[in-house]
Amino acid sequence: MKIFLMVFLATVFAFGVVMMRIEINRAGREIGKLQNEVEIKEARNQYLELENARLSGPLVVDQIAREQLKLQRTKPQNIVVLED
Amino acid sequence: MFQKKNPFAFNAKARMKLCGMLCLVAPLAIGIRLFYMQTFLHDEFASKAERAIYNYLKEDRLRGQIYDVNGNFLAESVRTHSCGVNKRYVKDKAKTIAFLADNLAMTKKEVEKKWKQNNNFFFVAKKIKPETYMQMRPVLRSSLGQGLELTPEYERIHPYGDSAIDILGEANSKNLGLSGIELMFNEELSQDISKRRAKRARRGEVIYDRSLKEEKSVGSIYLTIDSLAQHYAEEALAKAVADYAPEHGLILVQQPDTGRLLAAASYPRKDGQSLSFQFTYEPGSTFKTIAVASALDAGAVSITDSIDMEGRKWEVARGVTVRDKQHEKEELTIPEIMALSSNIGAGKIALELGAKNLFYYIKAFGFGTKTDINFQGESKGYVPPYNKWTKVDTATKGYGYGISLTPIQLIGAYSAIANGGHLMQPHLVDRIEYANGRVEKKAKVQKIRRVLKPETVETMKKVLEHVVLEGSGKRAQIKGYGVAGKTGTAEKLSKEGGYAKRHHVVSFCGFTPIQDPRFTILVVLDNPAKYTFGGTAATPVFKQVAEGLLAMYAIPPDQPENLKSDTK
Repeated sequence: MKIFLMVFLATVFAFGVVMMRIEINRAGREIGKLQNEVEIKEARNQYLELENARLSGPLVVDQIAREQLKLQRTKPQNIVVLED
Repeated sequence: MFQKKNPFAFNAKARMKLCGMLCLVAPLAIGIRLFYMQTFLHDEFASKAERAIYNYLKEDRLRGQIYDVNGNFLAESVRTHSCGVNKRYVKDKAKTIAFLADNLAMTKKEVEKKWKQNNNFFFVAKKIKPETYMQMRPVLRSSLGQGLELTPEYERIHPYGDSAIDILGEANSKNLGLSGIELMFNEELSQDISKRRAKRARRGEVIYDRSLKEEKSVGSIYLTIDSLAQHYAEEALAKAVADYAPEHGLILVQQPDTGRLLAAASYPRKDGQSLSFQFTYEPGSTFKTIAVASALDAGAVSITDSIDMEGRKWEVARGVTVRDKQHEKEELTIPEIMALSSNIGAGKIALELGAKNLFYYIKAFGFGTKTDINFQGESKGYVPPYNKWTKVDTATKGYGYGISLTPIQLIGAYSAIANGGHLMQPHLVDRIEYANGRVEKKAKVQKIRRVLKPETVETMKKVLEHVVLEGSGKRAQIKGYGVAGKTGTAEKLSKEGGYAKRHHVVSFCGFTPIQDPRFTILVVLDNPAKYTFGGTAATPVFKQVAEGLLAMYAIPPDQPENLKSDTK
């Protein structure tokens, strides 16, 4: 009876260990997948930030101001500096 | 009596022993082999097992950003992928080609062409955007994806296009700096991430280890360049190039009181090749400022002196004559010499100062020495030792011949006049900010030395203002603002010997506003196809840039009385 009990406990322990390993692997795989997705999303976000930087850059703003809004660059003499 | 034993007679015990021993041989051999393997081949097998279970992730190389002085992105690395094909492992060629064409925005013909041109492995597309990567990635695990590879790489993106690319330089897809700032600060900008261990799953998926986080120490660089000032400079240079078609051109803008460079535009614009540091030339008349300032500072001449023009045909030495064709005066004062850009006057002043003293001042102004910016390929110019100068050499140096310099040196000298007489250490990098929060300040205001007395500086400011008001620099005038500067039209050395009459370097160097100079601007156009002069071609460029900067930095007019009188 004792031997049977010991064998049973050992089996349960081994089963537990196996299940734990499987679960660790599964979770690891899941983490890997998520980490990959995070990297992709970060890269996509980076592209958007850079696109934002490009669109707010002097070349683009200048072009839009001149061509679409028909604005002209002012001369420095026309700038009024407000004092406190 | 004796019983003869048959040696071949059945002896169960002996046979049992024999069998037992034979049975033991195999395990013994295995045991010995195992012992040998465990002891002597341990490393080899351990690594084999490691490779089977684990996947080594090359985390490539991280690279920091480059910003302008206001924190606007100038360069940033973005992770992309390149798609490669290993033809040997592709199962269905037609389907694979169709898949690649659909996803990579290519035609089937284009993919097929690449397929035919290459033997086994080839890259179909590079710099694949994240969206495309996401679409393609799941397919790689199916049979359709066999033979396809998506390799991570980096793309260095410049949001402002090729603006300031001559300063920034380039970095490759492995995040290694190749030229310009990218190369100069490669160590600070990049960080190698060691190979990291992760488990490899059944389908090649990667199972990350928990302890993968690594401290980042990569730095980001903040330049002193202002992207808007750079834009103004590049725009003005592009216009000058369109108008005069020079071989090379450059505009350099510096803050005279700090030495910080606000803009450095070059034409042609090539990555990492900034003419501001690498271009050497004989400056011509812009160098008269240095000779005259030196002579005034040393007391060799006085601002009230008049100099005999020798009938505008001065024989410096036997057979060497200097002519002034631009005026008909018999005598010129120093402001007139500068305003009319008289070579005779400048030459005589240089002789009055003497070779040794002139050499001393030239060196004190920083000519013939590299700046501490240490830009890749920076030249130090050439100033021959004074003990080798003849009388003619001394005179010609007075009007900027027989000496070669770089734009960064010349602008530094003009900035010294603008800021009260101090040669400042020029700066291109403001600071480096590391990922761990450490900030390394680079652009500390540093006076290298005093080169001119304050009274000389005040005199020179008036002289240079006179050049713009009455002389060759009239086109640099800005309503309401005091502008000081000097034009230059230098003949270039000819391949046949002597100077080429039709090949010039035209330039203008000046600063504004005079009361409290905020910008020193140098414009150089090398060998314009259209015959022109510094006062015609370079001064309007200076004016365009200066007006843009004054407006951008909202600097009020320092001569408002001129503004009122003009507007009436």
